[in-house]
Order: sequence, then C-alpha cells, then structure tokens
Amino acid sequence: MLAIFKREFRSYFTGMMGPLLTAFLAVGGGLYFYALNLTNGLTDFGYYTLYRTIILFIFYVPVLTMRSFAEERKNRTDQLLLTSPVSVGGIVLGKFFAMCAVFALPCVLYAGMILVLWGLGAGAAAVGGAFACLLCYYLLGCAAIAIGEYISSLTENQIIAAVGSLAAILAAYLMPSLQTLYSTGSTQALVIFLVVLAAAAAAAGLRSKSFALGCGVFCAGTLVLGAAFMLRPAWLVTAFSAVLDALCLFVPFEDFVGLSFSVPALVYYLTVAALFLFLTAQGVEKRRWN
Amino acid sequence: MIEVSHLTKRYGAHLAVDDLTFTVEQGCIYGLLGPNGAGKSTTMNLLTGYISPTAGTITVDGHDILEEPEAARACIGYLPEQPPLYPDMTVEEYLLFAAELKGVRGRAVRRAQAQKAAARTGLADVYGRLIRNLSKGYRQRVGVAQALLGSPKVIILDEPTVGLDPAQVIEMRRLIRELGRTHTVLLSSHILSEVQAVCSQVLILSHGKLAALGAPESLGAALGRQGVVHVTALGEGSRVLATVRGVPGVENAELTSQQNGEASVTAHTAAGADLRAAISGALAAAGCAVLALTAEAADLEDVFLQLTESEAAADEAEPAQAAGAEAAAKQPGAAQADDAQTDSAPGGKGE
Repeated sequence: MLAIFKREFRSYFTGMMGPLLTAFLAVGGGLYFYALNLTNGLTDFGYYTLYRTIILFIFYVPVLTMRSFAEERKNRTDQLLLTSPVSVGGIVLGKFFAMCAVFALPCVLYAGMILVLWGLGAGAAAVGGAFACLLCYYLLGCAAIAIGEYISSLTENQIIAAVGSLAAILAAYLMPSLQTLYSTGSTQALVIFLVVLAAAAAAAGLRSKSFALGCGVFCAGTLVLGAAFMLRPAWLVTAFSAVLDALCLFVPFEDFVGLSFSVPALVYYLTVAALFLFLTAQGVEKRRWN
Repeated sequence: MIEVSHLTKRYGAHLAVDDLTFTVEQGCIYGLLGPNGAGKSTTMNLLTGYISPTAGTITVDGHDILEEPEAARACIGYLPEQPPLYPDMTVEEYLLFAAELKGVRGRAVRRAQAQKAAARTGLADVYGRLIRNLSKGYRQRVGVAQALLGSPKVIILDEPTVGLDPAQVIEMRRLIRELGRTHTVLLSSHILSEVQAVCSQVLILSHGKLAALGAPESLGAALGRQGVVHVTALGEGSRVLATVRGVPGVENAELTSQQNGEASVTAHTAAGADLRAAISGALAAAGCAVLALTAEAADLEDVFLQLTESEAAADEAEPAQAAGAEAAAKQPGAAQADDAQTDSAPGGKGE
C-alpha cells in the first residue's frame, strides 16, 4: 500500500497535474481571501473563503481522480498491481490516500491564510472556527475524491471518468435546490421507490442470471412498500427525503460555517468516503470474475 | 510447484480455457504453446491471479490462489503480454517501485535487487532514462526485470520475445535458460522454434484444451512419429547402408549421397528410440569410420499442426502424456542445436 501511495503521489508531480491543481485551488481561494478577508477585514475565513469557493470542487475533484484507475487499466499496469502480493483494498486505499495527500497541499496553504488572519489580529474564536471549518472542508474533499475514484474504476477512459465524476458531484451540489423544486407526496414517493426497486431487482436478476431471484426481490420489496404506503404513508415521504438528504454532499459542510462544530457532519463525510472505497474495492475485485 | 486442476474460464458464452489439468514441476522451463486465441494468455492470467477461474483450482507452492491470494502471488513474477510499465517513471524508479510492491523490505535491498535485475536483463545503459523514451525491446526487458524482483520461485513470461530484434531474441533466450537454473519458468509462445530452443517441457493448448504435455522431443515419439538419424561414414555406399539397416530398431534407411569415399545415410528409427550409439558402434565394427552423426530433434511443428489444426485431435481431450524430464535429459543434441535456429523467431503478432 505504501509503495502505491508513494508512486501515485509522485506521479502527480512528475507531470503538471499536481502543481496545476494545487494552483487552481490556491488561486481560487486566494482571490476570495484577499478581497474579503484581507481587504474588507472580515475574519470569518470559513464563510468568506472556503464556503464560497466550494464550487471549485466540481472541477478539481474530477480532474484529480479521473486517472486513478482508468489510466491503470488503459496502460495495463493494473496487471502489475493485481498480480502483486498486495490486496485490492490496499491498492484502493493507497491511491485514495495519495489523492488526499495531493488535496492536502492547498489545504495547507489555506491553513497558512488562517494563520495570516491570526497574525493580523483575528480572535482565537475566529481562528479556531476557521480551522474546524478547514477540517470539514478537507473531509468533504476526501469524500468527493472517494466518489471520483469509484467512478474512475468503472471505466478505462479518463475523459468518461472525469465527466462522470463531474456529473455526480454537480448533482450532489445541486441536490438541495432540486429538492425544493419538487415537493413529494406519499404517492410520488411510492412510485419513485417502486421504480428504484424495479431497477435494483432487474440488476440483481441479471447479475445472478436468476429470473426467480429478480422476481423475488421485486415482490418482497413491493410488499414492504405497499404495506408502508397503506399503514404509514408518512414514513415513505420521510424516507424519501432522507435519501435525498443523504445525496446532498455539500449541505453538512454548512454546519461548520459560522463558527460552529458538528460531529455528524464529520461522520457523514467519513461514511461516504468509506462507502465509496468499499464499492471501488468490490468493483475491482469483481472484474476478476467477469 | 504449480498444480492446476480442472481449470475453466468462461467469458459469457465463449469458453476460453476448458478443463485444464496439469502440474508444473520445480526447476524446469515450461513452454505454453498454441496458436493465437488458444487460451495461452488467459491461462497465464489465471495462474497469476489477475483473473479468477469460472471453475477449478490453482495451487502455487501449496497456496491456493483464491484462498491465500497474496501468498500465492508472492511466489510468482509475471510479465504480461503487454509489459505493465509507467511511462512517466525512469527504469530505476519503476524497478524500485515494483520491488517495494512485491514486499522486498529495506531500501538498500531493493536498490541492490533492482540493479541486479537491470544488469541481468541488460538495462544498465538505460537505468536512469524515462520508460517513455525506451524502444520496444528495452521496454520488454524492463518488464522481464520487474518479474525477477523479489526472487519469486516461479517466473511466468507471456510471449517474452515478441517485438525483439534477432540479437535480442538470442539474448532473451540465454536469459531464460539462465533463469531456468534457479527458478521454475513458464513461458508462452506461438513460435515453435522458440519453445524448442529453450523449454524442457511443452504444453500445447488448442481451443482452450490441453492437447499435449511432455518434452519437445518425446512429443513426436508419443504421437508415433519416427526418429531420424543422419550419418556420414567413410566407406562404400552399399556397405554403409547395409550396416545401418542391420542395426536393430532401424526401420528403414536410404543412401542420400556418396562421394570421395564418403557415404551419407538417413536412417528412420522406431518412435522414441535413440539409436545413435548403436549405429556408430555397428559402423565402427564394420570398419567404416563415422565422420558425422546427428539425430534430428523431433520436429515440434508436425506435432503442433497435428494437434492444433484438426478439431478432432483437440476433441480427443486425452493429452498425449510423454515421458517427461528424463527424455529431455537424454537429448543433449537438442540443446546444442537450438541456437542455430533462433533467427526465425521474431515478427509474429503484437507489433
């Protein structure tokens, strides 16, 4: 795992990719920092710099993650990794930590900006809040990197990986406003759940090549959903909005803006990262069997 | 060393490897031979754990490839069909990375192993260069050097001489023979002369099935092919011919040339028999001094075509098990003859 981490990290800096990406975030954040924090004397770094530049992730993360697995498959170097005495989990983690380390560089620059504010006389509360916000910002980035790594492992084309990650992160970014556009009643929730269930049942049936299993999954799911719809229709609505809430990757970060601290937000980002790393490892392992 | 039992790999409806069973013994050089699409690369990818079998088991040095994948893979050095190289690294960086990946502990040990592997594969001149800038032959060598790191017990090379020029091919074969002294080597090829040149055991694959397994020379014998001995002796043609015909085991003989008191005779012998000693002894006893005597190494090409061309042969499914290593050991002639035929090898596919 360490070997993969080192090679991966170094590869970002043998080419232009690492410096360019780092400069991208540093310049983006630096502009806001200079204009708002320094020129206007606003001490809240979390809100005025980090929160306002978070949209940069939509471009930063796909470019950072697009090559991680797609390039290995294209160059057939995955044969070296997958036939070496390293577990698939080790490979996935090695790559993930390398990308997190690349992402840590602009975060270190941001930390420097916070220290500048401190040096200019910002209060301890503002500085502490800014560092907490930076921590959450970093974990948010790591969760997005895990999503990008997963999407990169699905294809051997870097462009498709980048576009896929961009679409996924953009959808997560826009999810809160999409949520408010459509208010759901229990009937709509039931229909949407049934569509998702049908897709899942079809996937399960195709994957296991068992018609009976697909039908079984669909029937069992329909029974549960139908019972819930009859007895507790409110549950469906709640469950539906809970699912949509979970897809709003950028919302928990807002808990940190404004000098507050939220453990659930940190847990959420760690969970997202762990989930997608697990899916990546499963996907890579599964390809051996195709 | 490697035990393969009822190995099957299915891609959708296509059966790439079909119920393969064989054992790779320690300390031999095995050649996996077959036409394009016979399942050679798939078999190698299965043995190295890159892909998993649909059915069957593979055990490497006692470790099941599915139960203890890391332990099994640690025993294997693998050069895939396309060398798995990172173009943005130098040869040195790449070999150090590969050594670390294979779990070689200690920076100094890794450095020493990488340098040794580079020296063995003739990479010393390009050690500090970017892999991106290397020619195909050098890239192939970097791939082989990578497979040597961590001193694996088994080295698996998928078409190691593809894309090399004739001099490099000879060099690569020398290296493979050298590796065969300390490692078990399994290489694949669709080039007959290559397998005949370096391998002590041959596995012939056809349509994903094992069509034959044995020493290259004994494969011909196992399939009922006659042996051929060319002899040139001092003496009258008819006398030499009669003497050779009189040797027990010689089925047929003909006079091929006769000049300056020398007679050349080609003798066809019973399958699998080595009659060189008997023929030379008989001629000496008859007063005809032997000037030259060569046994024609069993021609793998015939065996290969016979086994792979007809569906019927493949469907027999009974591998022609020939007497193994001892037959190979008896054939010093084959080992000497091989360098002469190395030039026909390169080309082929993959360019």
